[in-house]
Amino acid sequence: MDKIRPYTKIELLKILFMFFKMNLKSMLEYKFDRFFIALAIFVREMVSIVIMFLILTRFVTIGGWTIHEMFFLYSFLFLSYSIFVFFFTGIRDFDDMVYQGSLDRYLIRPLGLIFQVVSARIDFTATIGHGAVGIILFLYTYKTVGIVWDFKSITYYASALIGGAIIQAALFMISSCFSFWTIRTVNLRNLIFFNCRRFAGYPISFYPGFVQKLLIFIVPFAFVSYFPAQYFLRKPDLSMFWSGYLYLTPLIGVAMFALVYMFWRMGLKRYSSAGN
Amino acid sequence: MIKPYLAIAKKSFQNNLAYRADYYAGLINTLILIFVNIAIWKAIYGEDGSYDGVQLKIVLTYIVLGFLMQSFFIMDDYFIQNKITNGLISSDLLKPISFRMLVFSYNLGAAGFKILMNLIPAIFISLLFFEFLPPFSMSMFVFFILSLCLGYLVLYCLNFIVWVTAFWFYQTFSLVTIKDALIAVLSGALIPLWFMPTWLYNFIKMTPFDSIYYIPITIYLGQTPSNEILTVLLKQVLWIALLTVIGHFIWKAATKKLVVQGG
Repeated sequence: MDKIRPYTKIELLKILFMFFKMNLKSMLEYKFDRFFIALAIFVREMVSIVIMFLILTRFVTIGGWTIHEMFFLYSFLFLSYSIFVFFFTGIRDFDDMVYQGSLDRYLIRPLGLIFQVVSARIDFTATIGHGAVGIILFLYTYKTVGIVWDFKSITYYASALIGGAIIQAALFMISSCFSFWTIRTVNLRNLIFFNCRRFAGYPISFYPGFVQKLLIFIVPFAFVSYFPAQYFLRKPDLSMFWSGYLYLTPLIGVAMFALVYMFWRMGLKRYSSAGN
Repeated sequence: MIKPYLAIAKKSFQNNLAYRADYYAGLINTLILIFVNIAIWKAIYGEDGSYDGVQLKIVLTYIVLGFLMQSFFIMDDYFIQNKITNGLISSDLLKPISFRMLVFSYNLGAAGFKILMNLIPAIFISLLFFEFLPPFSMSMFVFFILSLCLGYLVLYCLNFIVWVTAFWFYQTFSLVTIKDALIAVLSGALIPLWFMPTWLYNFIKMTPFDSIYYIPITIYLGQTPSNEILTVLLKQVLWIALLTVIGHFIWKAATKKLVVQGG
């Protein structure tokens, strides 16, 4: 019997492109529906922005932060989440794949599992809904918060966004690890993830110390929004924290992801299907 | 006459008991929302609440009350839609009871569950950890409870109109989500309406939205002068009546339109 030849890089790229096309087509099949879902996600996410806007038109600053600075900080949260759902929808929905048995289909294909999980699903509506909020906030603030957009700052900005997206991917992947042991943690994950995300929409210096520690050391959302924004803004409340944190976002993302990925491989080895 | 509806409410109460994880999640969500918002309002007013010490306490009480109310004002937005997509609607309509009352009793049962399992623990924890003014006076507290019930009904009638559109759209996620967003901003659930720009405040006064959260909470805080209490309560009642009439006509049109999927 012939040994199966591993796919070349070009072939993998082609498969990636085909998955992308399939996802796009399945979305365009119901473009009217999907448009309204994306719009609804956009409107839902705009609620917190509108509330912040109303508060700040009344009070001008919160803890020394102006509306432009607050929105700039918030934009990191939306843009990185949008990048995360675009690339890692499969990780977000992984629990369901195990639960419904569609993981088994991936396992019998001659392709790496993580490659398929990452490439086979793209939630365009969430990407667009969150991305639109992020882009609006970014366009509203990028000129007014005193940033010189040179090579250095653009490089930092891009790496912070990608790092933030990977941190969120790693957080979601922790819960998908448990599903190999058929422990469902979706509710717990959503509870922890979305509540911590709620904290991270405002500067973490507003919160008591234990919340700050939680957002730095345990569910590191501080590195998704607060520290990247502070790299540019340098508001005085930064003095509460070690200045090295400003540069750690990509590092934490990669380290977390690598660690969780190891755990994930372990889970995969002992996985036995839930199906019949 | 009322017996079958009581049975439905009881069943819905018991159904909720089965999803224990959900109610822990609901409770934790409420507490975290209160916690985050208190931190933000404290940051707005500065370290010592020096802007105006009394006013910070009023705002904090407003915010805590708003989230406590939201914890049991949440309704099942997809109950009717699910009945339509799985076809059960046809057998429900054949039953010798009113379908609209069935939906209402179902929601009432769920609200009872949330009051017992989410609201009461949340009130205790709020009293322990958050700053929280007592009601302005005993009589205001009675009016508050009355206004709270009316607020629930306004929200229910508004929700019902959106739910019934499932007869035309089948998937109402978008509409429900946009409705929730409008309510969140305009009802005063997240920010005291007196902080809004005057034009927006005046606009909201002409809509049913302020009847849901703002009117009950301002009564609790004693910010509604006692000679205006009856006026605001009447306003809530009028909105309930108007929305019920609109809901009635949409419901009539919907049942004519009904297409049951599948055999």
